[in-house]
Amino acid sequence: MSAKKVALLTTNFFHPSSKRIIMGGAERYQVDLCRLLKDLGYYVEVWQIGSGWTREFDGVRIRSIPVTKSEYNTFPDLATAFYENSMAFDYALYFILTLAYPIAREKSIAISHGVFWDWPGFDLMAGKPEDRQEWLRRLSIALAGPQKLVSVDTNTINYFNATLAGFYHKWEYIPNYVDTDLFSPPAEEPAGNDTVRVLFPRRLVPVRGINETMRAAEKLTSRYPWIEFHFCGRGHDDNAERLMNQWAGNRERCFYYWKPLEMMPEIYRQADIVLIPSRSTEGTSLAALEAMACGKPVIAGLAGGLSDIILHGYNGYLIKPTVENLVAAIEELARDKDKRKLMGRRAREVALTFNRKIWAERWARVLEEVFR
Amino acid sequence: MPKLTAMMIVRNEADRYLERCLKSLSSYADEIVILDDASTDTTPELCASFPAVKLYHRETSLFLIDESRLRRELWDYTAATNPEWILALDADELLEDRAARELPYLLRQDLFPAIGFRLFDCWGGEEYYRVDGLWSPWLRGFSIYLVKYQPHLPAAWPEQAFHCGRLPLAYRRLPYLESDLRIKHLGWANPAEIRPKYERAVGRDPTFKYQPREHYESILWPPEKIQLEKWR
Repeated sequence: MSAKKVALLTTNFFHPSSKRIIMGGAERYQVDLCRLLKDLGYYVEVWQIGSGWTREFDGVRIRSIPVTKSEYNTFPDLATAFYENSMAFDYALYFILTLAYPIAREKSIAISHGVFWDWPGFDLMAGKPEDRQEWLRRLSIALAGPQKLVSVDTNTINYFNATLAGFYHKWEYIPNYVDTDLFSPPAEEPAGNDTVRVLFPRRLVPVRGINETMRAAEKLTSRYPWIEFHFCGRGHDDNAERLMNQWAGNRERCFYYWKPLEMMPEIYRQADIVLIPSRSTEGTSLAALEAMACGKPVIAGLAGGLSDIILHGYNGYLIKPTVENLVAAIEELARDKDKRKLMGRRAREVALTFNRKIWAERWARVLEEVFR
Repeated sequence: MPKLTAMMIVRNEADRYLERCLKSLSSYADEIVILDDASTDTTPELCASFPAVKLYHRETSLFLIDESRLRRELWDYTAATNPEWILALDADELLEDRAARELPYLLRQDLFPAIGFRLFDCWGGEEYYRVDGLWSPWLRGFSIYLVKYQPHLPAAWPEQAFHCGRLPLAYRRLPYLESDLRIKHLGWANPAEIRPKYERAVGRDPTFKYQPREHYESILWPPEKIQLEKWR
């Protein structure tokens, strides 16, 4: 019997007009999910927005559908074209919840990577009562179609249970994951160095708290000669990277770079404190889990699913990421090595319960229920 | 570690940056395949003094006649070394020092078959690079310099006398990882070379097919019009 076919619908894995891919958390999730599907014996293809090109990435064919219209963060033309053209596929995965509007394949699953409508800019787009109502109406249709809804955090599930009731039994909580063999604590303590390294390991975008962190870095590096700040991640565009490079270049003990994923375990191991100070648009951050798996305490923002993985005062801090709060939390950990070590050990322990194998098993169970 | 072969076309580079480039390449490349395009100076001897170099020599220069054929020749010599990855740098381009430590991670990753870098044009020396207009490394983005060798991909170049690109077309269409390792380009670093280089560039592109006229003119701009950033 030939392999059952799965079509995964997303918006922009590749940049719609080019060969460019920036591997953020969502892209890595997609690659890992496609690998899991292949391991489970499915044939998988990805569909996205584009001019009609077909490409391949990591052994998966990626087709593009030439539509661009987007309204209320939904893509009705894309979803409809996908529905009509993917009949040769047995099952479908909607990589973003809103892609299941206005129509979803019968045997399908939609995924939420976290609440993304909690950033202030969203209010400009769907803030008026009638717009808000239309956005929610479309969401309720998107949730109704797929047989299962997978969420990476409990925040999303709680939001929907309180806002669009009636989908309780469709929701499955499958938090994000980390390869705890690859991401592991340093074998031994680096000797003879009193420098405390603070790492901001992600895309340099405002909702991730980059601006607050830069200001906190200025304050703390001028206060303590033994503290360093490392910003490791891409900007949202070339100009942001240029400005970040200039900013760090003009400051002692502030560094800006990014590294391939293969190098990240080493980057985390060299850090003493890791910052995930998101203000919004957050799930169960892969970067936070990776830092934890490397035995590092995490100072996280109160957003999305970060409260599913960080317990305030146990394996890190959960704060509203203002400059003052960041300075206070970093200072507290920077000055107390024992506390850092204790929280780091606990962080590793917590990370083990988010092991990638557990993620794969949970996904396999949900797939088995729907794809039959 | 996957095998990395660097490849390079050279012509009369002995008194420029070739020695530094080969020293740098020797610190991370397993082999360096060089096609000498009929140099009349000591370039071949210099190349041959590096143990990692595999040197091929042309008796007559091809660069100005048919660049794509010359590129193709170099590619074939390079492919013959059974490389896993191929790096295409010129004799006045250097990957920054940390490449020796960080390249292995790029070569070991298995998601991307190509790697892009940003190129920084040093200007008036090595301490500063140019950032105005089309010179800005930040705004012109990444180009592919490093690719995983895939024998099944066609090794064809566009039918173009020059500016035909260093890598076969199929390799330039691969999805690529954008690396933060910078390429330091020294081609414009020596003020004495700027005017002859300008004349050569415009002479080869009199109708401004490859670059806008303003860009060529900006080569000769006075210092006060040029914007620089410090290389750190």
